[in-house]
Amino acid sequence: MAEKAVFQVNIKKRLYFLFAVLILMAAALVCRLAWIQIVQSEHYTRLAREQWNRSIPSRSPRGSIYDCQGRLLAGSITVDTVVAIPPQVEEPRETAALLSPLLGMDRERIYDLLTMDRSAIYLKRKVEPEISQKIRDLKLPGITFTPEGRRYYPGGRLASQLLGFVGMDQGWSGLEIYYEEKLKGREGRLLFPADVWGRQLPHETRKYVAPTEGMDLHLTIDETIQYIVERELSRAELQFQPRKAMAIAADPFTGAILAAAGIPDFDPADYEQADPDYWPLSPVTDSFEPGSTFKLVTLAAAIEEGLYNEKEGFYCTGSVNIAGHNIGCWTSAQGGHGSISFLEVVEGSCNPGFIELGHRLGKEKLFEYIRAFGYGEKTGIDYPGESGGIVFPLEQVGPLELATSSFGQGVSVTPLQQVAAVSAIANGGKFMRPYLVDEIRDPEGEVVFKQKPTQIRQVISRQTAAKVAWIMERVTQVGSGMNAAIDGYRIATKTGTAQKVGPGGAYAPGRYILSLIGFVPADDPEIVLYVAVDEVTRGPQWGSQVCAPMFKQIMQDVLVYLKIPPQEQPALPPAAMIRVPELCGLSLDQAAAAVDTRGLLLRVVGSGDTIVNQTPKAGAEVRPQTGVIVYLSDRDEPEGPEIPVPELTGFSVKEAGEVLGWLGLKLAVEGTGVAVKQEPLPGRRVEPGAVITITCDIP
Amino acid sequence: MGKEQRRDPDYAFILTVLLLLGLSLIMVFSASYIISAESSRGDPYFFLRRQAVWIGLGLVGMLALSRFPYHRLRRMSPFLLLVSFILLVLVYIPGIGVEIYDARRWIGLGPITVQPAEFCKLAFMIFTAAYMSSRSIRLEKFWSSSFVPLALMGVAFFLILKQPDYGTSLLLAAATVTVIFLAGLPFKQAAGIFLVSLPAMIILAIKEPYRLQRLTSFLDPWADPGDSGHQIIQSLFALGPGHIFGVGLGRSRQKLYYLPLPHSDFIFAIIGEELGFVGAVMVLLLFFILFWRGIRIAMLAPDSFGSLLAAGITSLLAIQVMMNIAVVTGSIPVTGVTLPLISAGGSSLFFTLCGFGILLNISRHLQEVGG
Repeated sequence: MAEKAVFQVNIKKRLYFLFAVLILMAAALVCRLAWIQIVQSEHYTRLAREQWNRSIPSRSPRGSIYDCQGRLLAGSITVDTVVAIPPQVEEPRETAALLSPLLGMDRERIYDLLTMDRSAIYLKRKVEPEISQKIRDLKLPGITFTPEGRRYYPGGRLASQLLGFVGMDQGWSGLEIYYEEKLKGREGRLLFPADVWGRQLPHETRKYVAPTEGMDLHLTIDETIQYIVERELSRAELQFQPRKAMAIAADPFTGAILAAAGIPDFDPADYEQADPDYWPLSPVTDSFEPGSTFKLVTLAAAIEEGLYNEKEGFYCTGSVNIAGHNIGCWTSAQGGHGSISFLEVVEGSCNPGFIELGHRLGKEKLFEYIRAFGYGEKTGIDYPGESGGIVFPLEQVGPLELATSSFGQGVSVTPLQQVAAVSAIANGGKFMRPYLVDEIRDPEGEVVFKQKPTQIRQVISRQTAAKVAWIMERVTQVGSGMNAAIDGYRIATKTGTAQKVGPGGAYAPGRYILSLIGFVPADDPEIVLYVAVDEVTRGPQWGSQVCAPMFKQIMQDVLVYLKIPPQEQPALPPAAMIRVPELCGLSLDQAAAAVDTRGLLLRVVGSGDTIVNQTPKAGAEVRPQTGVIVYLSDRDEPEGPEIPVPELTGFSVKEAGEVLGWLGLKLAVEGTGVAVKQEPLPGRRVEPGAVITITCDIP
Repeated sequence: MGKEQRRDPDYAFILTVLLLLGLSLIMVFSASYIISAESSRGDPYFFLRRQAVWIGLGLVGMLALSRFPYHRLRRMSPFLLLVSFILLVLVYIPGIGVEIYDARRWIGLGPITVQPAEFCKLAFMIFTAAYMSSRSIRLEKFWSSSFVPLALMGVAFFLILKQPDYGTSLLLAAATVTVIFLAGLPFKQAAGIFLVSLPAMIILAIKEPYRLQRLTSFLDPWADPGDSGHQIIQSLFALGPGHIFGVGLGRSRQKLYYLPLPHSDFIFAIIGEELGFVGAVMVLLLFFILFWRGIRIAMLAPDSFGSLLAAGITSLLAIQVMMNIAVVTGSIPVTGVTLPLISAGGSSLFFTLCGFGILLNISRHLQEVGG
């Protein structure tokens, strides 16, 4: 019995020990529970909520883009996205085979999607309505549709670079990407706690965050002007086959851009096929050497500083030596402009004359004006990827840089900058910030943002601006801008020809960017327009022959559209008679330059490298805008009794008579005006004394 | 000892058990009615009804055994052990053993299935208590004393482990060793057993990749949220949001397919979610009352067999409760044991209540305190 008692006492001791262990373990578990349920409760609740909460996105339509008159430029339509619900697909092989031709997708790829371990998956997004209807008609189990917005551009390619385009989910270029946040609105969500299968939990509340519809943009662009501009660019593209062409128009008093385009452009509905190089709006994103249009800055600065006197004499020898470098005038082949007035320096776009003006200003003053006119920095327009151009930093400007900058070489500028600068000349000296979006409206049509015209600074005085405008008007009347003249309107212009820099850093021969900038009417401007053509590959190579007609065609239509009535021409000082220069022996380019400077027109007959004759003869006194006919001849052309018939189309009766007279042929005329048809055709060989019949019509 | 003095059974124990069983009915229903309604059965009350039936059967078993003199079990103990071994082997015989989820833990008896391991646990407590309290053994001679139940337990351990049921085999081993320890196992031998079994456990844990995965995912459940880490994470996502007072009875979110087995192995997580820290601690407290009453019965038992038997039954309960709650709180690796009395269960519940019946019978023979 005692032994047993001892045994049980031992058990008791150990039972106490066991109980103590149990107390410790229970206490540990209570602590552990307190840690999880009290201390870490918030942490685990937050993590758990991420698992419970489901959100179903609800998309809203993208905002639309309108022109300044409320015409739709970009809208959205609802199309179907094809969705597969893999667990419900019954015959994945068959379904894939049926869908493959309709969706234009590989059968295996569709099969892979249909058998994926997912509750739902996109097969193809935003398909054409007729495709989705065909799929609907198949009534395939597990194939369903969800509506999505697709971008739609009523004008097709119209303003494509300006507007940009929208990819599957967001804007990719142009205004579509710049205003992405405003246009896309905010995606809404339906939030609710759910079980593993995504079903809403009982006893729980759902929360709906309504989507915010995208806002609408109302642009400063006028669809009609944009259309006119793009029509002329397309025409130029066909006629001259350039690398690029571009144009931009603005209201000089507000900075509002009325039209802006570049070619080649692209079709926003088929953006995948477009070369990304042509996505950006070239007048805003391309910068290049401006050439003579930049001389307006030097001129305005010189007038403002009182360093320009139009009657003051200047002698152009054809070149000038600056710091050991010989800088030629573009008239150097004919020995320069000779003795001219400073007014003629501008009218004739004489490089040494502008170098003189730049020298008088000095580098500080000239570059102060260059920067005041907005060059060398971005204008801040609401378009992505704007270029700021390049202007020499002042400390790098030596005599050579000062000289070249005076006439537009060694700087790089954008068309937009030039339009902004010339707007300041047109509007009385105020530099306005250019802009594209006039208003932003919410889906209810309330205006939530209104762009007010922003004056950055007063660049030149009103008087200086008026003076520069008057000189530009003369350029149109007697200078290189003559082809831009429109009867009954006062038009201020300035042409530019910039040689492009080749791969080696030197100027590339024969590669030019031709440009013209101007505004109408010169005394009370409504519109500033810039056109440029980059590397003409067919036809004439001079700004006066390429850009001036484009400017004229655009302006003529815009003036009618804007209902700007013709004014009487101001009484110009009686145009001085112009002496016809000696052109024989010159090349065609040299002759064109010589004729352009003097305000004469060039008519070309024959083919070849060298001019062998001219009408009227050198030294004759003629009125401005008189055509000078030059005859080209290949040196090795065999002498023979037969004479090739010249091209006479476009010639006046008088001009045709002079040409044929010189060749020893006779003229017969039907109708009046300029020649539109001729018989025999050009190139035929005829006996001397043969009669060439031209049919004339009023152009 | 002469004629036994019969006393009243331990009413505090009975009352606590009944409270826990009532809670079990509520929580099993709360955790299971949606998944049960949505299952192929389409019956939200399936688990509730099943639980009620097993509780009824279990209470009958408890009542019967509380009236069955426990010292008669002493002589029956080798026989009971033999039966339990036969049943354990039957599990592996096709046609009798039932395989569910790749596990062979059950044998079919007509409409119901029985888990022999549950019976085995109880039989081992009776056998070990009887063997260790017999006068013929000399505890200091390990090979002729403690080794015998340990070796037998080892065989049962492997039979259960192979089912596979790592949790139950561990439980059996721990409870058996506890009884042997209480019987007065010398500390040297205890240390020896510990040193031999620890590497064995580790090898066993590492040998099966899924066990190792359970082990590592316990250390960092987020490193492998795929499977076993998933269970721990989901359990914490139930307990955490429960906070102090719970989300409210019936309003658990985690029982909606996030947490696997919400009505069985992880029912304590649902209690923590719906009733909060307060509810979870209350349940732990009720269990602790059972431990306390059980150890008290063991201390006051009239003989060492009763003492060890009561202690063994209490240990089985206590170890299983601790293991389950430790798993649910992410404190130890997932072992796969249910929460006694609360979790929906069949034979496990039945044999637990049968064990309580034996315990209650011992409680009717208690010595005077201090006697």
